[in-house]
Amino acid sequence: MIDTVIKADNVTKSYGNLKAVKNLSFQVEKSACFGMLGPNGAGKTTMSRMLYGNALRDNSGKSAINVFGYDPGYNELQIKALAGIVPQENNLDLELSVEQNLFIYSRFYGLRKREISKRIDELLNFMELTEKKKSKIRDLSGGMKRRLIIARALINRPKLLILDEPTTGLDPQVRNLIWDKLRKLQREGVTIILTTHYMEEAFQLCTRLIIMNLGEKILEGRPAQLLKKHIEPYVLEIFNQEKPVTFHDNRNIRIEGTESRYLLYSNELETLKRIVTDYNPGDVYIRQSNLEDLFLKTTGRHLNE
Amino acid sequence: MNSNSPAQIKKVEIQVPGLASRIYSVWYRHYRVYTKNLISNGFPPFLEPLIFLAAVGLGLGHYVGLINGTSYIMFLATGIIVPPAMFTAAFECSFGTFIRLEFDKVYDGMISASIDVKDLFIGEIIFAGTKGFFFSAAVLIVIAVFGLVPSPSAIFSPLVGFLTGLMFGALSLFITSFVNNINHFNFYFTGLLTPMFFFSGIVFPLDNLPGIVRKLAYLFPLTHSAILVRAFAFNIFPWTLLLNLLYIIVFIVIFSSLAIYRLKKRLIG
Repeated sequence: MIDTVIKADNVTKSYGNLKAVKNLSFQVEKSACFGMLGPNGAGKTTMSRMLYGNALRDNSGKSAINVFGYDPGYNELQIKALAGIVPQENNLDLELSVEQNLFIYSRFYGLRKREISKRIDELLNFMELTEKKKSKIRDLSGGMKRRLIIARALINRPKLLILDEPTTGLDPQVRNLIWDKLRKLQREGVTIILTTHYMEEAFQLCTRLIIMNLGEKILEGRPAQLLKKHIEPYVLEIFNQEKPVTFHDNRNIRIEGTESRYLLYSNELETLKRIVTDYNPGDVYIRQSNLEDLFLKTTGRHLNE
Repeated sequence: MNSNSPAQIKKVEIQVPGLASRIYSVWYRHYRVYTKNLISNGFPPFLEPLIFLAAVGLGLGHYVGLINGTSYIMFLATGIIVPPAMFTAAFECSFGTFIRLEFDKVYDGMISASIDVKDLFIGEIIFAGTKGFFFSAAVLIVIAVFGLVPSPSAIFSPLVGFLTGLMFGALSLFITSFVNNINHFNFYFTGLLTPMFFFSGIVFPLDNLPGIVRKLAYLFPLTHSAILVRAFAFNIFPWTLLLNLLYIIVFIVIFSSLAIYRLKKRLIG
């Protein structure tokens, strides 16, 4: 049996009248990559911050958070000593070099001086930043800063890594590199909590995920299992139509329309293939449904902000 | 798997660094960042008292007679040991703190490591005290070069700079906890610190002020720093200094506690 290492029960967080997280429960197994997906404002960041005490949950008898045996409301230091945090916004010390940033940060964990320089070299090598050791933060690209923040989060050899949108705004090369490194860490036994609104990222990394909207959990499960259970496997996309696309007779098709693009979901590939013949080849395209379809289906197509 | 099923989570034992180590690590971060620009940060503390003494020695001093049997320039020189400690601590814990809090988000990174908000701001106040110590020491060196140090016991006056730094570090953090717009610090500096500089017995003695103004002046923390620093400078220690010291300690404890309480709410809700 695999050990559970994190458990949240009925967690709620209010900011004034706004409920950022509503009665959320989940648990995470050791060495899992647990994803929290949701549009902006879904409460992902707030939930992940509550796990290590940088946000405090509302006090109620029913609610509880347990991370590696500790309650972040009382033992935040123990949790933070066991965890590595990659925040949404870069917060490096701009005046210091790459190496100095890591050195200063290692002091917050009380690491011994002898170990530190070896650990810094290891981490720079791992995140492919060795050549930038002496560089100033200002001279780093966005991708390098992100890699450095991840290296920084690993300085205390964490058992838990909490990443808040780790690859937002990065190019595909860096994104893939970061995904590789995260998979490697996971294989080594690190438990990962990932918040993201990139469905591709969640699909690539997460062993289990929840989809959140407006502070609530909407779906939970393994990515492939969620797709199978909650959305039709095939999608026909139709572009460039002047008239709305409608089908009166078709039972097996669900249409989602936006002005410039119609999505026809179906369980039967053959049904969609028949429809294709009615359109210009350039205006239609069949694919498998993905997490993004599921995400939009469950959280809605309107803007949340 | 049901989230509500009872799950036993094995506690993972972990050694957390001790309080002193955590506070030191915060102090050390500030020290490293500050000394990164040693020339631009380290030169002004020496230049400022020079300008002051030159202006008074060459100009103003001729128009002012003796104060309590001391030449005006010596009265002033022994007083100006503490205001730089006030200003440097105030800048550090207002503009500096606000930038770390809101713009650079440095605090968010720091409290994601194994330190908490209390460690963070105690370390910061002690760093403000440390800057106060060195700024006072810089003034002491300059006035010593000009032969304006009346007694060797003045060697201890940077300690008053340290206490001054702690007081204004704590007060400024408290002010910062209310501020949402960095420009509002102008009110703090022009409205509170500048008057404090003039009405705390540094530039002129408080004795001849109208009663009510004099009483108000004793509410100012800098007044107590000035009394303490002159005691060391002139080697005269009346028992009432204990009251000044008590004021300083109580001030530091109250404003640090309030500042930490308020900033904790602001940082982690």
